[in-house]
Amino acid sequence: MLKSMIYKEWLKIRWFLIGAAILGLFIIAYMFMNVQRSITFQGANAVWYNILFLNKMIFGIMKYVPLLIGIGIGVAQYFPETVNKRIKLTFHLPLFENRALMMMLSVGMICLLLTYLLHFMVFWMLSNYYFAHEITVASLITITPWFLSGLAAYFLVGLIVLEPVWKYRILYAFAAAMFVPLYLKSGMIGAYGPINIPLALLTVLISVSLLFSAYRFRKGEM
Amino acid sequence: MKNLSRYNLIVISIISLSVILPWIYWLSFEKPIPKPFVMYSCVDDCFMIRGSENGKSYRMNEHGEMFTREEFEQKLPLLNIRQLMISRTLPDSIKGVEMDPHVVNKARSFYRYKPSTKNAPKPGLYPMFESESGRAKLEMPEDFFRINSRMEFIDADRNKINEAKTALFTGALQHFGFKFPAKMIEGIPTTRKSCDEGYFVVDNADQVFHVKMEQGQPYVQQVEIPKGLIFKHIGCVDFRNKLFYCYLIGHDHNIYIITQDDYYLKRLPVDEFNPENQQLRIYSDLFNYNVIALAEDFMKVTVLDDNMEKVDVFYKSWKKRSERPEGKVFSYLFPLQLNLVDENNAFINFYFHLTKGFNWIILHIVLLGSHFLIIRKRKAKLKNHIVDFGIVLVSGLFGFLAVNIFPNKLND
Repeated sequence: MLKSMIYKEWLKIRWFLIGAAILGLFIIAYMFMNVQRSITFQGANAVWYNILFLNKMIFGIMKYVPLLIGIGIGVAQYFPETVNKRIKLTFHLPLFENRALMMMLSVGMICLLLTYLLHFMVFWMLSNYYFAHEITVASLITITPWFLSGLAAYFLVGLIVLEPVWKYRILYAFAAAMFVPLYLKSGMIGAYGPINIPLALLTVLISVSLLFSAYRFRKGEM
Repeated sequence: MKNLSRYNLIVISIISLSVILPWIYWLSFEKPIPKPFVMYSCVDDCFMIRGSENGKSYRMNEHGEMFTREEFEQKLPLLNIRQLMISRTLPDSIKGVEMDPHVVNKARSFYRYKPSTKNAPKPGLYPMFESESGRAKLEMPEDFFRINSRMEFIDADRNKINEAKTALFTGALQHFGFKFPAKMIEGIPTTRKSCDEGYFVVDNADQVFHVKMEQGQPYVQQVEIPKGLIFKHIGCVDFRNKLFYCYLIGHDHNIYIITQDDYYLKRLPVDEFNPENQQLRIYSDLFNYNVIALAEDFMKVTVLDDNMEKVDVFYKSWKKRSERPEGKVFSYLFPLQLNLVDENNAFINFYFHLTKGFNWIILHIVLLGSHFLIIRKRKAKLKNHIVDFGIVLVSGLFGFLAVNIFPNKLND
């Protein structure tokens, strides 16, 4: 039964996930094509200098990409469950309800993490090819909270979409809109260094937020 | 698990609200603190002050004598030399020194330090310019250096280490007793300067070295510093008079300079300057250095003569933001404020600012009562909401909003 459940989740998100993974790769490729072009026209030393001393973020274009992917996968996975209250079928399976929900969440989260890992690794490899260790590390520190924002958005979309009462959906969306910008503050390259671990812990904290609205859903909260 | 998920959501909501609500409050109600502009007059040998109070601007000296704008400018002729030349009121000489604009400009300099300059991500890689290229313009080198276990030069085009240059510079540093890795590397990494003087580097044993490149060869000079002195910040300068290389701020809260060519470390006779929470501005002219330390609630201007001996000190304080009317209202509303950015730090982090006193307890009790009424109206069991009451009592408005955005109907 678990296999079937995993397959069901995969069916819901597969096309969006594949599209998002390809789109992310295209954006990373586009960024580094720009880097190559700048190196050809201005020289590598000028490109390095602009990053190191003028705070030029060559990778700024990907700031909201992980966030959009997280929201997209969350909607693709959880919205179909609210149509005709289909999620109630899941609750009728001979499984603990929380276990079924955690299974749903895990499938989406692992798919999302794998997509992010792919993007992160490709970015890392290309950055290592063009830039010295210092620039690559500072860049990775800068993009890490952007990926965390996508994960947080995915968890919060689950919370919002499965909430049965519109008034609370709006309030949750309001809470999410206050929380997600914490990951996206503008600053110097590498400025997020001290806060990345606390933000990762907060992301872990909200990973189970889905259980809250799902419980209200199955209780028939109106 | 459902309770855990709810409390997790409450935690993140309290964190978000403690960032957003105080930010909105200050955005709406904060008033500027009127910090005056203070400069020492070489004409009257006293401080001149320009500021505003109750919407009215004033220009006066430290004795309270008021001036018009034109009079005020004439009291600070070296600062306003262009205006005085246009209005033909520039004196021929001051203190027996002829007012030659070229000489005046050569002696004039400005240096500014903010704590966020020091508390910021460091690039880790620096361009080593050719100091004696024989060219009028400085050129950006093809490589950048780092100082870890050795002084490595990385060719940007190939992203590979230039081993020959690395060995040359590493050997030169070792010869002078440099202890790897470097703790601090400070210079002026731009081609837009009058000439290149390389970098001042603090090694792992807190020794200070001057490192530059002359005709492709390393130039290294160790600066003699008193035992135990550790520098927190080095601000290199490129002033026209070429009297010194840099300002240095020690862990002893003193300000130093390193003189040009003879590498003499000189302490400025300025009282404690805290580089963690004070800004520093140093204006110099033909006769004086105005060393201005600016904190949240005071400014101190120390005037030095051209030999850097203390002449006079001006001190003015004002109320901190938390002590002003809008700060007092804030103290009744919020127990704390959480910021992601800090004016003294360029890193993004959670900066907690606890509100002084316990004025907020009144609102917390009111909110506790309100929450009690909400629970009673829902006819819920009070014992199921004890934790929520605790959250509201401790975190006030943040917690009250959070527990009602995510209501505890799980156990009712």
